[in-house]
Amino acid sequence: MQPSDFERHGFAAGVREGFVAFLPVSVGLIPWALVVGMAMTSAGFTPLQAMGMNIIVFAGTAQLGTLPLIVDNAPLWLIVTTGLALNLRFLIFSAGIAPGFRGIGTGWRWLCGHLLTDGSFAVCYDKLMQVDNPRWRLGFYLVTGVWTWLLWQAFTLAGIFAAGIVPKSWSLEFMATIALIVLLVPMAKARPMLVAALVGGGSAVLLRGMPLRLGIVTAICLGIAAGFAAEHWQEKKTA
Amino acid sequence: MNYDASLWLIFILLGLATTLPRAGFIVLGNRFSLPPTLQRALRYAPAAALAAIVVPDVLLVGGSVEPINPKLAAAIAAILVAARWRNPWLPFIVGMAVLLGLKALFPG
Repeated sequence: MQPSDFERHGFAAGVREGFVAFLPVSVGLIPWALVVGMAMTSAGFTPLQAMGMNIIVFAGTAQLGTLPLIVDNAPLWLIVTTGLALNLRFLIFSAGIAPGFRGIGTGWRWLCGHLLTDGSFAVCYDKLMQVDNPRWRLGFYLVTGVWTWLLWQAFTLAGIFAAGIVPKSWSLEFMATIALIVLLVPMAKARPMLVAALVGGGSAVLLRGMPLRLGIVTAICLGIAAGFAAEHWQEKKTA
Repeated sequence: MNYDASLWLIFILLGLATTLPRAGFIVLGNRFSLPPTLQRALRYAPAAALAAIVVPDVLLVGGSVEPINPKLAAAIAAILVAARWRNPWLPFIVGMAVLLGLKALFPG
């Protein structure tokens, strides 16, 4: 084996390639982290409490979604159930990406699982399925997770202290939406994927009235079913 | 507002409610695997989930469907740019420019 081949397939090479692939996507985290930091401060958390939540929970959607309940002194079970509902998509992501961790030890898997976010999932999924070398896969995935963690903590901290300084009219939070679009567009170039996205997005709008944001989970399931059905239909047509 | 120690209990339980769904299948991995059909179906999860988060965000204003609004226009611009050019920063620049431009042109 050529040294260059070996290097290309090792942990360090995985880290390098993962970082290059993930860097543009990670930009979208910054406004999102700032917004969450500001929201926790306006909920009345001290900086220590806010950073405590940020490190222990480490989930922007669940943090933002449960804040109003915490402020309202809602019962503990309702806060936790709401958090769980907001995180249900991770169960789907976790099951989907799990085969990508073949040949990687249990300790690493806990760490990788803890660091699983929408961005890491979207950027790593294909590579983790295609590449054989477990060390390359671990490097590629871990750098996206660790970089997300660092950016998230740093810019949430910035948001905690910047609360009230950045004018709302800058609409910085919209950069998070653009980041999701940047992830979505290349996926939707395959016809069944486009069907999954259209049905998922359309159902989420129609089902927005469901409690605890369960509409989103239902819409994801409908989108998956529609994409899968479209794939079968496409295969039949070309067969 | 003041919070007591129970706030930290909330954080810990929310942390479990985050890490367990995330790590569950990844940790079980070797001992428990999903049927291949389900795995094929789950490939559509990211596209469906991303759209389920993005579409309501850009199509709804105050909870009702609003087909003409600055966020939707900015999102369409970002989609077109992302589909046409490979530069990863361009959708951010164009999307934010359209959003802030329209908001400045049509305030309120």
